[in-house]
Amino acid sequence: MRKLFALVQRELLAYFSSPLAYVVLTAFLFINGYVFYLIVAFLNNPSVQAMAPLKLMFGGTIFFWLYLLFVVPVITMRLLAEERRTGTLEVLLTSPVSEAQVVIGKFLAAFVFYLFLWLPTWVYVAILASHAKIDFGPVWAGYLGIALLGSLFLSVGLLTSALVRNQIIAAILAFAVLVVVFSLGLVENLVTGAALKGALGYMNLWSHMDDFAKGIVDSRHVVYNLSLTGLFLFLATKALEASKGR
Amino acid sequence: MIEVEGLTKRFVDKDVVANVSFFVPEGEVLGFLGPNGAGKTTTMRMITGFLPATSGSVRVAGLDVARDPLGVRARIGYLPENVALYPEMRVEEYLRFRAAVEGIPHGEVKARVEEACDRCMVGDVRRQLAGTLSKGYRQRVGLAGALIHKPPVLILDEPTVGLDPRQIVKIRELITELGREHTVILSTHILPEVEQVCRRVLIIDDGKLVADGTPQQLRSGFSGAAEINVQLDAPDAEARAALEALPGASNVRGEGSGKFRLAVDGSADLRREVFKLAVARGWVLLEMAQTVPSLEDVFLRLTTHDAETAHEGQLEEVANA
Repeated sequence: MRKLFALVQRELLAYFSSPLAYVVLTAFLFINGYVFYLIVAFLNNPSVQAMAPLKLMFGGTIFFWLYLLFVVPVITMRLLAEERRTGTLEVLLTSPVSEAQVVIGKFLAAFVFYLFLWLPTWVYVAILASHAKIDFGPVWAGYLGIALLGSLFLSVGLLTSALVRNQIIAAILAFAVLVVVFSLGLVENLVTGAALKGALGYMNLWSHMDDFAKGIVDSRHVVYNLSLTGLFLFLATKALEASKGR
Repeated sequence: MIEVEGLTKRFVDKDVVANVSFFVPEGEVLGFLGPNGAGKTTTMRMITGFLPATSGSVRVAGLDVARDPLGVRARIGYLPENVALYPEMRVEEYLRFRAAVEGIPHGEVKARVEEACDRCMVGDVRRQLAGTLSKGYRQRVGLAGALIHKPPVLILDEPTVGLDPRQIVKIRELITELGREHTVILSTHILPEVEQVCRRVLIIDDGKLVADGTPQQLRSGFSGAAEINVQLDAPDAEARAALEALPGASNVRGEGSGKFRLAVDGSADLRREVFKLAVARGWVLLEMAQTVPSLEDVFLRLTTHDAETAHEGQLEEVANA
């Protein structure tokens, strides 16, 4: 456990001492702030049907998805690819830590950084709460959805970072896989067969987030996200084992 | 302590390491020699478990690398050829991280970091970012990290590369000292280093083990040991016949104007006999010198491929490095 903690701690140090982290943080705040402004301005229009602004904020707009699809590969690209390129992986994997511990350590650090990105968005919740009475159930569920979605996306990024030694290629690969994972569910609307429609619907991340934002914590969505996260982390561990020494 | 049996690594269709076997007993400092690309690093990586072997086995402290990789890793301190540190970490932070990853109890970490810093002479840069260190310091910080958990086995891939002469002396002293408590495998290009610190030498060439023994054994086993150069003020034919008649002398070659070169069999020292011969015959002894083959000669002989003269040049470069 102490070894895992040391790995997470080292990775977090690497995040917060790299300029990239601050660029990501700043861009994230800027875009989220702009989206929040757009949503509030939109809902202020008397002709628009009343809605909970945070429901729109959490996955209700394409901005949310676009940003997530871009930012997660940037968070994860460095994790294993850079260690392989510089050679620190050789030292790490000749220490008494298993490949699984390395993968989990990196994942947890990336996850903590991801949650840290979302931390300032509580300001929006506070702003809304100061002007109106808000229901905190959907807010918590929305954040849970964001965390689950993040864990799935980050595990994909970690896998691609385990596969190559160039960070940029790792990021592009992650983006490509994430686009597939994300759009698979959207195909639901284009097919007619009931079984296929049902299956694709189960994978529809947009509708998962919709549910979470409404305050519905559907165990199927939780299981889907967690099991895929587990699968990608397992594959990342295997990729790391197989590519050792190369 | 380290048992390597039939170790082979195949990359595509070439055996980079072919059927290498050796045993390193506890407390031995073993020098691993070979030209560039001979398979030294590949062998070391297979011993640490970083690279899986195509066939063969490695056991460290009785544990099989393939079956119990974590057990083996816990018993090994490894300094790779290109020492890579995390540039954003301070030296002290890095050593604390290494200590934690090696499973050193929290309470002992401080003392271990202190000790490793002292031993490897990096105390003065402990607050410095690893990314800003010179090559010599990086090398020593890497070494400090490798021995922070006091592993029974140390595997050092060219530990003195990039150090200045004073640091090289210090690191060699350190390795000699470490050899008292640890089993050490050390790869190097620098032959005097091997003579100084290693009790035993393995020479690997083109993936195959070509020599195994103490530096003395390798030298004496090489082309019948010493040669004597002698110059006599005497008729050439007579002198040659007399020298050939000396017991233990062979391969007498005349080089003109009384100069001869003769090989000495075994460990005999023929210089006295040559002197007595000259006195008995009333010849003036103008010059006499005995040359003992150096480890460099052994190395070049074993790793030079006759057909490849270009390769030879490269090897000499290596030997002189």
